[in-house]
Amino acid sequence: MSVANAIEVDDLRRAFTRRAPGALTRMFSRRRAKACSGDDGRRPAALVAVDGISFGIRTGEIFGLLGPNGAGKTTTIKMLCTLLEPTSGTARVAGFDIVREPARARASLGTVLSGERSLYWKLTGRENLEYFAALYDVEPITARERITELLDRFELTDKANELVERYSTGMRQRLSIARALLANPPVLLLDEPTAGLDPQSARNLREVVRKLKDEGHTILLTTHYMAEADELSDRIAIIDHGKVIALDSPTALKQHIQQMHSVEVETDRAPDGILDELRSLPLVRGVECVQSGNGYETWTIRVLTEDSRQTLDALLDLLRAGGERVLNLRVAEPTLEDVFIALTGKSLRD
Amino acid sequence: MSGTISRTIRVFAAAARRDLLITTRYADFVVGMLVWPILMPSLTVFAAKALAGPDGSGLSAFADRTGTTDYVGFVFAGMVLWMWLNMVLWSVGGELRAEQRRGTLESNWMTPAPRLAILLGSGLNQMIVSAIPVLASLTVCSVAWRVRFAVTPLVGLVFLVSTIAVFGLALAFASLVLFLKELNAAVFFLRGVFMVFCGLTSPLSVLPPWMRAVSKALPLTYSIDLVRRLSLAGASYADVSHDFWILTAFAAGLLIAGCLAFIVVDRAVRRRGTLGQY
Repeated sequence: MSVANAIEVDDLRRAFTRRAPGALTRMFSRRRAKACSGDDGRRPAALVAVDGISFGIRTGEIFGLLGPNGAGKTTTIKMLCTLLEPTSGTARVAGFDIVREPARARASLGTVLSGERSLYWKLTGRENLEYFAALYDVEPITARERITELLDRFELTDKANELVERYSTGMRQRLSIARALLANPPVLLLDEPTAGLDPQSARNLREVVRKLKDEGHTILLTTHYMAEADELSDRIAIIDHGKVIALDSPTALKQHIQQMHSVEVETDRAPDGILDELRSLPLVRGVECVQSGNGYETWTIRVLTEDSRQTLDALLDLLRAGGERVLNLRVAEPTLEDVFIALTGKSLRD
Repeated sequence: MSGTISRTIRVFAAAARRDLLITTRYADFVVGMLVWPILMPSLTVFAAKALAGPDGSGLSAFADRTGTTDYVGFVFAGMVLWMWLNMVLWSVGGELRAEQRRGTLESNWMTPAPRLAILLGSGLNQMIVSAIPVLASLTVCSVAWRVRFAVTPLVGLVFLVSTIAVFGLALAFASLVLFLKELNAAVFFLRGVFMVFCGLTSPLSVLPPWMRAVSKALPLTYSIDLVRRLSLAGASYADVSHDFWILTAFAAGLLIAGCLAFIVVDRAVRRRGTLGQY
């Protein structure tokens, strides 16, 4: 592939038109009818899932598309792998236009969509790969060798002749990636590849992704895990409400808010009612609160501020006035999560 | 060109193999394949026996209308062919619906494989599986009822052309499945239409004129009538050529229309963004 950019996306837009609610819907379900209608109650509302995004992915890089659920990541992936036609804009995969040359674009792609049900559960792992090898136009002799190699690489050889319905989630995900690699495509689209995996399996999968990059594949990876995007990506596009709001390397993104500090306070009670007051403090650019998952009833309030020294006093005063007990406090270097909060005013989990 | 053809055949064979493996891994398919095809025609045969009277005196009226007194063969020819064609009719749409429910449709659509080849492969699997109940029915008919069908190359050709005609319809219904997702009501309606209008178990001459007019617009009518005339009544090519070419025209037209319908709807569904919904 001689093109400099493996993927080119230019002002891509995808809107979903909601049909006007029918008479029966209006009669029996006012709530649903309202959800389907626009503000005037009559026009159907359109959902703009992807709103004019543009980016280029260089050959051989891992490009992260990071955003919360509903940001437009999967819709973008589905357009690039030609499952969806864009409403407007263009995109090229390995030089092939996704609308005018969809079959050629697909032939250059290996795609792993999120969800466990993209494999045939009543076929064995090997049978799944044999079937998809035919669909990816891999010659039979080459397919046999390739399947053996991929099963070995993804540690599925021992389970190759078992039905996929007996596989664990991690095994199915590895098989899905093996399927995407059958034709050794230059470009891989991975939609939340570690979603639903235990930490060890997720770590192993990230290692696989790194190796794929070393082998020369270009990878577009979507995720809502900050740490994963930070760890794997050469560059990240942060997407929210269908728009790319930032695009750069993880280091450069964090440097943009280098002058900011992240103040983390751990309390023993849910900070009801004071988060909005915290947000209104001078120099505070974002606030989020997360309940700790460590089995103890504690909450971590993270405040992104331009000057931690000035914000600290006001922050502690507010907490004491609210009856909060401060268990722990630290001032940290900004992370990608802070970048997201700075750009959007909310955390990825909101 | 030869590369494209061999690639298409590979996809077609892979889809057929996939479905065959999945079908045979559900044990109850054997029961459905064997029991129902034997029971269904037998119901009508017993009813016909009752109508013919204990001495078969009612058969002369039947012979006047059909050209044969062999009402068992008449019923079985209609029912067996209908069973075969019915399964072909729903093969593609049914498999597409199964893909939607399984969540595997998008996995197939993400590949560069020709989509019609994938669907045709599913259809081929259904035909292979459908051959079992057809053979079971014919065996029961021959052994238990002692009917002798003349299986000639022309009968085989009628079977083939009928299959092609119904395949065109099958692709059109597959398009509806892509678009509307659930088609149970349409399926039952059309089955009813075919059962009533195509002369499955009774001669068309018993239908009122307006129903006969509808029958003439359905390819299954010609298929069933041709098989009966060729395999039971000993008709020759000259006797059936007119209806045979009407059936062939149906086959060509329906296949082309079905392919076009599928291509258009497939694009429309990707534009609407409803491919992954079920």
